[in-house]
Amino acid sequence: MTTTTKSASRKLTIARAMAEATAQEMRADPRVFVMGEDIGPLGGVFGNTRGLYDEFGAERVRDTPISETAFIGAAVGAASDGMRPIVELMFVDFFGVCMDAIYNLMAKNSYFSGGKVKVPMVLMTSTGGGYSDAGQHSQCLYATFAHLPGMKVVVPSNAHDAKGLMTAAIRDDNPVVFMYHKSLQGMGWLGTEKGATVAVPEESYTVEIGKAAVAREGHDLTLVSLGAGVHHCLRAARALEEEGVSAEVVDLRSLVPLDRDTVRASVARTGRLIVVDEDYHSYGVSGEIIASVAEHAATRLKAAPKRVAYPDIPIPFAPTMEQWALPSADKIVAAFHQMLNES
Amino acid sequence: MTTEITVPEDLWEGDTEGVITAWLVDDGAEVAQGDLVAEVMVEKAQYEIEAPVSGKLSIARAEDDVVAKGTTIARLEA
Repeated sequence: MTTTTKSASRKLTIARAMAEATAQEMRADPRVFVMGEDIGPLGGVFGNTRGLYDEFGAERVRDTPISETAFIGAAVGAASDGMRPIVELMFVDFFGVCMDAIYNLMAKNSYFSGGKVKVPMVLMTSTGGGYSDAGQHSQCLYATFAHLPGMKVVVPSNAHDAKGLMTAAIRDDNPVVFMYHKSLQGMGWLGTEKGATVAVPEESYTVEIGKAAVAREGHDLTLVSLGAGVHHCLRAARALEEEGVSAEVVDLRSLVPLDRDTVRASVARTGRLIVVDEDYHSYGVSGEIIASVAEHAATRLKAAPKRVAYPDIPIPFAPTMEQWALPSADKIVAAFHQMLNES
Repeated sequence: MTTEITVPEDLWEGDTEGVITAWLVDDGAEVAQGDLVAEVMVEKAQYEIEAPVSGKLSIARAEDDVVAKGTTIARLEA
């Protein structure tokens, strides 16, 4: 980083938190290096590699051509040979051109070799919409990656978790997919979520991969979400509080491993569940969470669970159409009212 | 003594306006000289604003506010 802030009260955006975690690990471990498109002098189109090129130079912070198959494949090779690469797939939507490297090589080489080959790499990738970047630059695709065995998947909702999860991901001996939502990066043109910019310790620390957080406690209703959706849930919980309803918000933080225990424990207390997900409605995170609760015999639901997720349509470019389709606090509150009417 | 934090005239080329994208300290916090306090975005490029002196920060312009070079965005009370 070119500038640091020493006050105890300092806050970071998720972009800065990711860069700080990466820089600290690069200082501590010469095997860590970064590859991707525009991650060098530009500092990443979403700001998450700012300062790294200046500090570590072109050999450890490597700008690549637009060739995801090549550089993600190269990272798998480097990781298998003892390095700890961090690579960026600029938009998760581009996974189609490099998926063989990701889910046949990165995710499975450790298994195929009977554990003899480790693949300690981080694949970081941006997700989400809301700023009219159309259907090939706005998807979340959380479930697409979480569905395939062999990779850990994390999705931070704030800068504190982003730094701790990034440090944990770099130190992990398994491949970790680090999915960051563009609206949380603190880059104005992507739509800024103020709640994501929070106090972050300067010293290095980890947030355990596979552990959800209760972002707000409540006893009438459990809202489960991840990434930007957590902030919609927190706004909905504040609105519901005015109606005398106490909503708990569970931030999954990690999809693989999935902390089902925290979700189940919360729903066991509240008896009501709404899952909020900016990924597509069908075959996704929302269905997995509801199934995880439903298949657990100890859970007694007071009402049928609901989901506020992205409709099963390609993401529209037109701003009014896109905003219509996105999850929001209003939709969460409406889903709760509907739940009460039905039960 | 009160010191104003203004957007430096040489922070970026030209006279384009920018937007405050993040305050990196809370209103009312004590900051030290040289601390990074805010980010301003101009045409998708992000610029950093540092505290010119140490003091207690009082934010004058909020996140998402449009600012020009010379705009006072905060005050520092030493």
